[in-house]
Amino acid sequence: MTRALGWLATLGLLGGLVMGFGVAPREVTQGNVQRIMYLHVPTAWVAYLAFGIVFFASIGYLWTRSDAADRLARASAEAGVIFTGVTITAGSIWGKPTWGTWWTWDARLTSAAIMFVMYLGYLLLRSIIEEPEQAARYSAVLGIVAALDVPLVHFSVYWWRTLHQPPTVMKPGPVNMPPAILAALLVNVVAFTLLYTYFVAKRVNTLRREHEVLA
Amino acid sequence: MADNWQFVAAAYGLAAAVLGGYWRRLVRLDRKLAAAQARRRNRPADKTHKIQ
Repeated sequence: MTRALGWLATLGLLGGLVMGFGVAPREVTQGNVQRIMYLHVPTAWVAYLAFGIVFFASIGYLWTRSDAADRLARASAEAGVIFTGVTITAGSIWGKPTWGTWWTWDARLTSAAIMFVMYLGYLLLRSIIEEPEQAARYSAVLGIVAALDVPLVHFSVYWWRTLHQPPTVMKPGPVNMPPAILAALLVNVVAFTLLYTYFVAKRVNTLRREHEVLA
Repeated sequence: MADNWQFVAAAYGLAAAVLGGYWRRLVRLDRKLAAAQARRRNRPADKTHKIQ
């Protein structure tokens, strides 16, 4: 099952590359550097999804004390940190030719950086507490608290004056985007979501087996 | 505006390195656990007997 998911994610990513570089047209204002969007936006979406899963799995753990919920939260947090790192790096590289700077302390970038550090802290907390039940309990609380930053990241572009543009797709109302660009973006969103699902499935599996080996 | 292909290549290259690196870590962990599980299965059974 996990292997099939891996192949599906690989096919999706190849499809995403074809759509992003072959089908989507060159953007008139920014030129080809805009193609970074097909990486930056889907990885940001996946990061939101990952931390949303951490939030619900953490509530699930505190509610039921189920090891499966704890493993899901941990696996999703790991994947979320990876995807947030990619989002921030890709955004920074895109920012240099378009904004003229690698980084600026505007609300969107700062709240995203805080989100990244919070979930790094989550993973660090898990690794420093030796007693597994205590580590699961404390990190579940942090997983719930840290999730409060996710809406802050998303809505920061509305709540403060930012250099970062507001969302084009994840917003109420019609999407003002040429169909080919939108199609390329959506294919990449699906591909990166599949990759995230594959990473989480594989990590949950290794965490379960680690538990069995150590038992 | 100039196309800035070098920035596109850098963004996609770094993403491939990070995501590929994480995937390799998972595969390595998977193999290590498979080996540990195999060792556990092949371990000779405990032959000590309780003294009545």
